[in-house]
Amino acid sequence: MAQRTPSAPSRPQRGSSASGARLWTWLMLPGTLWMTGFLIASLVLVATLALGTTDPLGNPRFGLNFSNITALADPAYRIVLLRSLGYALIACVICLLVAYPVSYAIALHGGRFKNLLIAAIVVPFFANYLVRMYGWSVVLSDGGPLLRTLRAVGLADGNTKILQSGVGVVAGLVYGFVVFMIIPLYAALERMDLSLIEAGRDLYGGPLRTFLFVTLPATRQGAAAGAVLVFLPAMGDFVSAQLMGGPDQIMIGNLIQDKFFEGQNWPLGSALTMLMMAVLFIGMLGYLRRTRKDEAEATQ
Amino acid sequence: MTFRPLRRRRGTDRRPRAALAITAVFFLLLYLPIAVVVLFSFNAQKSLTVFKGFSLRWYSAFFHDHVLIDSLGMSLKVSLVAMAGSVILGVALALGLVRSRTRLGSLAGLIMLVPLVTPEIVTGVAAMLLFKGMGITLSSGTVMLAEITFSISYVTVILRSRIAALNPEVEEAAMDLGATRWQALRLVTLPALLPSILAAAVLVFALVFDDFVLAYFTTGVDPQPISVRIYSAIRFGVQPTINAVGTLMLAGSIGLIGLALAIPRLFGRRGGLDLLSGE
Repeated sequence: MAQRTPSAPSRPQRGSSASGARLWTWLMLPGTLWMTGFLIASLVLVATLALGTTDPLGNPRFGLNFSNITALADPAYRIVLLRSLGYALIACVICLLVAYPVSYAIALHGGRFKNLLIAAIVVPFFANYLVRMYGWSVVLSDGGPLLRTLRAVGLADGNTKILQSGVGVVAGLVYGFVVFMIIPLYAALERMDLSLIEAGRDLYGGPLRTFLFVTLPATRQGAAAGAVLVFLPAMGDFVSAQLMGGPDQIMIGNLIQDKFFEGQNWPLGSALTMLMMAVLFIGMLGYLRRTRKDEAEATQ
Repeated sequence: MTFRPLRRRRGTDRRPRAALAITAVFFLLLYLPIAVVVLFSFNAQKSLTVFKGFSLRWYSAFFHDHVLIDSLGMSLKVSLVAMAGSVILGVALALGLVRSRTRLGSLAGLIMLVPLVTPEIVTGVAAMLLFKGMGITLSSGTVMLAEITFSISYVTVILRSRIAALNPEVEEAAMDLGATRWQALRLVTLPALLPSILAAAVLVFALVFDDFVLAYFTTGVDPQPISVRIYSAIRFGVQPTINAVGTLMLAGSIGLIGLALAIPRLFGRRGGLDLLSGE
């Protein structure tokens, strides 16, 4: 939490004088203009080009043409979109199932090693994403340590494969983004009032009931934030499907990449990008409505 | 009969064995891939599954690989420029956002959030289309522009909470003593923010250096950022030289993050990077 100044409520309106307001505006302007020029304009460009066409040479042409949008109805695209949604959602759920006990153990039982343990989780995240994915694909590979161990203890046989399957893709997404789930969950558990748990125990709730009816609801928002933070990059990822999956496991990110680099059909690539954004936007709206409802309940 | 209290220990329930076991397995799986990369970067053979003895041949191969060295150099250059650009723009933006109560302020606050809620592939595609649409040849310059755009948001998010936590009365006291608003900002506020600014700068450097997606869409042909080079290499199977590069980059990243975390301590106060406080 931010350190509060004790006299915060009595502070006069900052930046209310004309010269102050002007200074703050001048400070804001360069960054805002930069982002409008490079980011907002480029996103508008993608949306516009989604309605464009390609000329016979394959060059993109702007226009008002809905053929790319209708092309998205192609069952082949629908399958990829649904698969991407499915993989991203499954990855989200697994991240939650893994991250919750880990965050719980560290936040509530980490003692003086808490910060060290969380740092130990964050540090690998700063290793190059591709190097991490590459190492992970070696671990999951046929002769790799994971399958060899599983085979040795009889949990897998010679035919079990992880790479070149949907399991491999999801495993890649989980490894890539699980840290985004741990950080908000850890923050939520850390912030939680532990006397709530004591109260649950005083009221003769067993550990499980206390967990289900006290701890879990209290950290719901952390889990929701983590789900968004995992889902967004997982939906757009194309490295995991490329390194861990086979040709029949491609995700929408691979399609977009293909349309821009190999297929050279930028208008169609733009339309696919907009489709992905639309799906994510609907998800974000659901998240915002959910959190707003939570806040309304909390303030009641 | 002795009376046994209901609670044996204050605080939470007893050690949850299942959670601790999952945590142990999690740490094992978290570090296994990294350990594999580091270990096999010292392998005497090309194999990625059998260790055949210690050797530095992949490091030597890397130091003789001009393409990889050039890529590393380019990533370094891009990261430094992106760091400088995004820190200047981002700190100014954060100051304006926290202090301004205008409608432009709320609009700027929204625009700043866009990269954080957009998958990188979208911003990458968009930046590439913008550059191509303006007839700009993709090069290290376009990577720099794209990375600055993306990093402004990080700097602003980190600095925003710090600025909001500053005591504005100190700045007001400076102005009561005759400083102009600009002098108060330059002589009082910015020095107080310096640890956070440095920490944000180091973080941006590390993130940009390791970034792949944005670099992939905005880079030209030669040289390519190191991430993009690694990507094209690992698509074609076993590349032990990549293990050596990966290990060196890992060491660099850990050093930088250690630096970012140590900066507040070096300044002897809180005010650096709260990676974990969920602010």
